[in-house]
Amino acid sequence: MSNVIVNRVKEFLKRFPPFSFLTEEALAEVSQGVVIRYFGKDELLFSKGDPAQPYFFILKEGSISLIDYVDQEEKVVEVCDEGDVFGVLALLGKRPYRLTAKTLEDSLLYAIPVAVFEKILNENNRVALYFAAGFASGQVVVRTDLSQSQKARTEFSELSKDNGLLIFTGQSDLNFSKDVLTCGPELTIQQAARKMADAGVGSIVIANESKHPLGIITDKDLRNRLIATGKSYDTPVTELMTSPVLTKKQDALFSELYLTMIKFRLHHLIFTEDGSDKSPVVGILSDHDILLSQGNSPAVLIHALMNTWEIAEMGKLRDRAEKLLFYYLENEVSMDFVANIITEINDIIIQRIIQLTQRKLSDEYPGMDQVKFCFLSLGSEGREEQLLRTDLDNAIVFEDVPQEKLAHTQAYFLRLGEEVVEGLLNCGFHACPAEMMANNIQWCQPLTQWKKYFSDWILTPSQKAVLHATIFFDFRPIYGTKALAEEMSQHIYQEIGDKKIFLNFLAKNALLNPPPLGFFRNFIVEKSGEQKDKFDIKLRAMMPLTDIARLLVLSHRVIGVNNTYKRFEKLIELEPNHTELMQEAGKAYEILMRMRAIEGLKNNSSGRYISPDALGKLQRQLLKNTFSPIDELQKVIRVRFQTDFFTG
Amino acid sequence: MGFFDFLFSPPGKKAEFVLAYEAAFGNKIPASRGLGLLPFVILDTETTGLSPKSDYILSFGAVKLKGFQLSMEDAMECYLQTPRRSREAIEVHEILRPEELITLEDFAERFLSYIGSSIIVGHHVGFDLEMLTKALKPFGFRKFLNPVLDTHSLAVRLEKGPHYDSSMGKPGEYSLDSLCERYQICLDDRHTASGDAFLTAQLLMKLLKLADKKGISSYGELIR
Repeated sequence: MSNVIVNRVKEFLKRFPPFSFLTEEALAEVSQGVVIRYFGKDELLFSKGDPAQPYFFILKEGSISLIDYVDQEEKVVEVCDEGDVFGVLALLGKRPYRLTAKTLEDSLLYAIPVAVFEKILNENNRVALYFAAGFASGQVVVRTDLSQSQKARTEFSELSKDNGLLIFTGQSDLNFSKDVLTCGPELTIQQAARKMADAGVGSIVIANESKHPLGIITDKDLRNRLIATGKSYDTPVTELMTSPVLTKKQDALFSELYLTMIKFRLHHLIFTEDGSDKSPVVGILSDHDILLSQGNSPAVLIHALMNTWEIAEMGKLRDRAEKLLFYYLENEVSMDFVANIITEINDIIIQRIIQLTQRKLSDEYPGMDQVKFCFLSLGSEGREEQLLRTDLDNAIVFEDVPQEKLAHTQAYFLRLGEEVVEGLLNCGFHACPAEMMANNIQWCQPLTQWKKYFSDWILTPSQKAVLHATIFFDFRPIYGTKALAEEMSQHIYQEIGDKKIFLNFLAKNALLNPPPLGFFRNFIVEKSGEQKDKFDIKLRAMMPLTDIARLLVLSHRVIGVNNTYKRFEKLIELEPNHTELMQEAGKAYEILMRMRAIEGLKNNSSGRYISPDALGKLQRQLLKNTFSPIDELQKVIRVRFQTDFFTG
Repeated sequence: MGFFDFLFSPPGKKAEFVLAYEAAFGNKIPASRGLGLLPFVILDTETTGLSPKSDYILSFGAVKLKGFQLSMEDAMECYLQTPRRSREAIEVHEILRPEELITLEDFAERFLSYIGSSIIVGHHVGFDLEMLTKALKPFGFRKFLNPVLDTHSLAVRLEKGPHYDSSMGKPGEYSLDSLCERYQICLDDRHTASGDAFLTAQLLMKLLKLADKKGISSYGELIR
């Protein structure tokens, strides 16, 4: 052993997290175990699929690219610089490498043996959390320790552009066209079509003299709006174009661009200089470009869903989405993005099945397609949090009809509800045991009745009723006339007013679930039954957060923010004195969602029951850390709503 | 064996660890063996001066390199007891407590078992080997049997070709300092034995990669 050399290594390591968190002694211990490795240009450190080496790496000098192979094509996921730590995921998860690491130039690496480091992980919460935060979840939680590691992560991210092995790197690998065909608004459609033919492209952007985009015309528009409607070829382009257009900045994050296109079902997204439609066009991104860059992707799945009327096929596509989901979760893609994609896919399936059913029933119930209705998702799907195909919770609201028509109308919508629920069950969703579904006459009602339900819950609440009613406050319109849903929201908004008693009931309800940790900071596990010794992550950790978020948001009379972590985000605005707590709660919820989904996908279950013993030290720590905002929030609620003095 | 025992041993009587060292050189390394498989020991000594006759070793540092990996655990660092106090000795040793200094015999035994039959590497390694040979003499050590590689000559050979006369070059062009600068090795802990050994080891790794690119890719081509 040489102190001089070990010191040299130590001095280097301590400049970079997570080593910067270590005490001198611990750092010395780690440094003594280091193996220095040298690689020439274009050498492989490890290949995708190789079993994890007993080391992880920090780059001393040189540069390393982490590469993925998709359909035999090389795709650089990340380029590591001095001080970047990599190869950790495989090591912590004891899994094969997911990427290939190759030197871009001669590189000197310090290899840190796992054995030494594991000991440190066990002793040093901060380091464990740092890794948990940066790598295991993509997000962080909790108290002093957490805010530290979170801070560290931000610093680290800036330093190395986040080497958390994300799938979505910048958009550098996205090929979009910079040469955009444009024309002025004064042209006729034939002149524009001529230009498109000459340029051999499928779209043309209509722009004013400053090149600001006004609208877009695509091949499809020529077919649907010109030829099919028999309009004259001299029609001005302004009459046929899609306008206004959605614009983005070309250096926007790929995930953002992607999501925008999926959300708005855009085939083309226009890039402008500053991202607004009041600046010159600089490029155009087509969904084809995205498909090319993605391979098996949400866009492909959604495209396929939009092109089938077969329920069996939809089920298969939903299965494929699950594989994608697992991949995303394992790759620490941000929860917001993942939940958005899966929600979008679920929504499309529901929408398609409704349309299918409407057609099927049109002969049997003539004229019913004129009655306005809205299909609502409740509970987790309503909150855009349903990653797994767990229980379906949904309902139908239809417009008020004359009394004599009510029975027939309701019968129709009940049939519709039934068929849709059956269709969804065939797609692998599970039925709600409490039958809060659109096939239950109680939850397939005209607007007036729904208003009455909400009024009853709010004005004359009972503990039991509230317990069942909470998920209805998370409704989200999926298909049909959204105005009906909006009217319901408005009604709730007015009814709640300052009805303290309802909020008290909700508060009481939010405190119903037992605390997740026992006296000795052990997990409270199920005492008996099938799930003996398992931890109920839904009941003990997620539900309290969901209930609290809903309660607080409603107490501020905010309607329309459904998502639990978005509710916490909203609460940061509403209660700036609790900023930190709300941030942590939101992050905790994302981590819980991720853990539950991974658990569920691994065991093909609802993911609800987790066995604490099977979790790694890091995961256990991460889970425990999510509890601290629950405790804290429950305290706040106890005081604010005086639940201890209130016996409902 | 006590500290002064060797003075009374018959000259040429080999200590057991010297015999063990010599016995380890059974099979020669095949000429075709690739660079990545060769075991190197990169060493450096700090001495009281430049005369092997009258000066002596104050400290020793070495690292092992194999397969382009060097492990912290395999590094060796020793501070030696000196026959008399000298200015240089105090400079090097002032921070050390006496119990951290090892006897010449302890050093000799540890050193020989450490290097084994590895290829010895150093910058101007001839001088270090001379000093070491002298230090080991009392234990019946005659000469080094290891293959030897000098990073100085290797660098010259790689940069200027095998027939270059280094007396023609600029003075200091191939000093450890200028080479480290040229090969972008951070100059730390210069002029401690371990520090220099570590720098030399990093230099060796870079030179070996360069050699490999130039077609010097086996033991036979490296050590001629």
